[in-house]
Amino acid sequence: MTKLKGNDFIEKVRTEIDQRLPLDMLNLGDLMAHKEVPKHRMSWAYYLGGFTLFFFIVQVVTGLMLLFYYKPTVSEAHASVEYITHQVSAGALVRNMHTWASSLMILSILIHLITTFAMKAFEKPRELTWVTGVALLLITFTFGFTGYLLPWNQIAVNATKIGLQTIEQVGHYLPGDLATWPRHLREIIQGEASVGQSTLSRFYAIHVVVLPFLIFGLLGVHLLVVQLHGMSKGVDEPAKGQEKFFPFFILKDFSAWGIAFLALFLFALCLPFESFFPYPLFEPYDALGSTPEGIKPEWYFFFMYYPLELLPFWLVMLGVNGAMVVLLFAPWIFKGSSRKTLRFLAVLAALYLFVMTVFGDKIYHLVKGVGG
Amino acid sequence: MKTNTFSPPRHQVRQEFLTKKLFYLRDLKKRTYGFLLFFVPLVSWWFMVSPVLAYPDFQAFIKKNSGRSVDCAFCHANSNGPEGNGPGQIGSLTPEEFDRLNFARGAFDPGRNVNSPILNAFGNRVIRELGKKKFIEIKNHPADLAKALDPKVDLDGDGIPDVQEFLDGTHPLKNTDGDPGRLFLANFLKNHTQILLLLFATLFTLYGLNNLLRGFARFFEAEDGEGGR
Repeated sequence: MTKLKGNDFIEKVRTEIDQRLPLDMLNLGDLMAHKEVPKHRMSWAYYLGGFTLFFFIVQVVTGLMLLFYYKPTVSEAHASVEYITHQVSAGALVRNMHTWASSLMILSILIHLITTFAMKAFEKPRELTWVTGVALLLITFTFGFTGYLLPWNQIAVNATKIGLQTIEQVGHYLPGDLATWPRHLREIIQGEASVGQSTLSRFYAIHVVVLPFLIFGLLGVHLLVVQLHGMSKGVDEPAKGQEKFFPFFILKDFSAWGIAFLALFLFALCLPFESFFPYPLFEPYDALGSTPEGIKPEWYFFFMYYPLELLPFWLVMLGVNGAMVVLLFAPWIFKGSSRKTLRFLAVLAALYLFVMTVFGDKIYHLVKGVGG
Repeated sequence: MKTNTFSPPRHQVRQEFLTKKLFYLRDLKKRTYGFLLFFVPLVSWWFMVSPVLAYPDFQAFIKKNSGRSVDCAFCHANSNGPEGNGPGQIGSLTPEEFDRLNFARGAFDPGRNVNSPILNAFGNRVIRELGKKKFIEIKNHPADLAKALDPKVDLDGDGIPDVQEFLDGTHPLKNTDGDPGRLFLANFLKNHTQILLLLFATLFTLYGLNNLLRGFARFFEAEDGEGGR
């Protein structure tokens, strides 16, 4: 009896895995011949994953080019970045493409996540696609955080210090032995008493070796399950029709990549990312000099940074960690929710991200001004 | 009653007057030498040890006008200003650099070939073009600096004149720093040929890719058809 129950359980697990990872369907010719994309009012959202992949490819190519010249030491890092920008042929263009593409990759991954949520594309059997997608988002954020330090300028080092202090602060709200864990984590990441050579070496290794390994693995799984399950239905009403993935959808996808490449090239050639910030922030980091005004993390952390400046730390951490858990387990938490409800939640989340990113600074000054 | 008065001959009076004058002049010369011997080293010493002003009035104006924060590196060689022992600061200057510094300090009129080691190329340009006297006059009205300088000069070659960069709060010697809108326009006009070439290259690539993929699709369809028969 017990043996039978055990067999049933194993069989059930096998069926569940088979449903989510139907490797027997893995046939490239079949995928090319029969994969179809539904046509409806949200069809544009199917291109967002492709955009993210495109910007990731740009990151890999430009990152490899920068790797030839960049020197990961505190004494040479800033000078090597200056050398790339001013001396290396097309160095400024490549560096700008890397910077712009990192922001555009995060922007497209965020919109991709929100639209996927709104379309309920995480429904069974696509849970693995969703979970790997969320993990890819976290890895991309870590790419941004570690890459920010590498130029070793004022904003990079000071913003990293703030980021690492935030990790340690979490310990104040944890019970017992757990309270020391964030400090240990900070020490492990930092490598020495303050942000210095050890930190730079670790961030560099994480940025160019550890994270690429992780992202290639996860991206492989993510793309595999996307191909195995095909495109999700996306909307409640019946689709207006179906479009063949190969060659029609993929052609449109490549055309969109072409436009994205043109836009990226134009921005990288004509508009240095640094021009949006006061120049003292990009001077070499000087541990003894005064800290310039306007130290901030990258724009994609504003959703967390401004609330941290305005609200109690524990409240923001609770909110952020709660949101992360909800995001990761969304396929199970929102199993029975309608697409209408999910759309409403997605709009709320998008609105919050937009307001905090674009108007966060104004809100901060408004609140602090009134308070003061 | 007659008063017996002695009046020396006129030539004697003249002689005495000249002798007195000579003594007076000799004395004056001595006093001047004494003054110079005492005060010149004193003034030089004061120049050496006194705090060198970095004219924060301009810094405050730039921040107020543009909303961007700037540091001393806008005009000075060192971002922490001229005081200190770092590169481009008073404490690290060689005798030759001190000579250049003192020359710049004495350049009250415009047109002097100033090359102060504590100033950057923009700071030196300002003193060269205006002279120290006018520069100090402008100090109380920093906005006038934009009117006083040549509006066409662009030291970093980013397409935005230095005067505009002064008003925008962007660095006149960093070609990656400029008002984003102006910088975009200037770079777009400078690189329009490359942009046009890239546009054509992208269009041709997409055209080629389109035909290649359609060709593959037809090949697979034909193969499917044959397999089906």
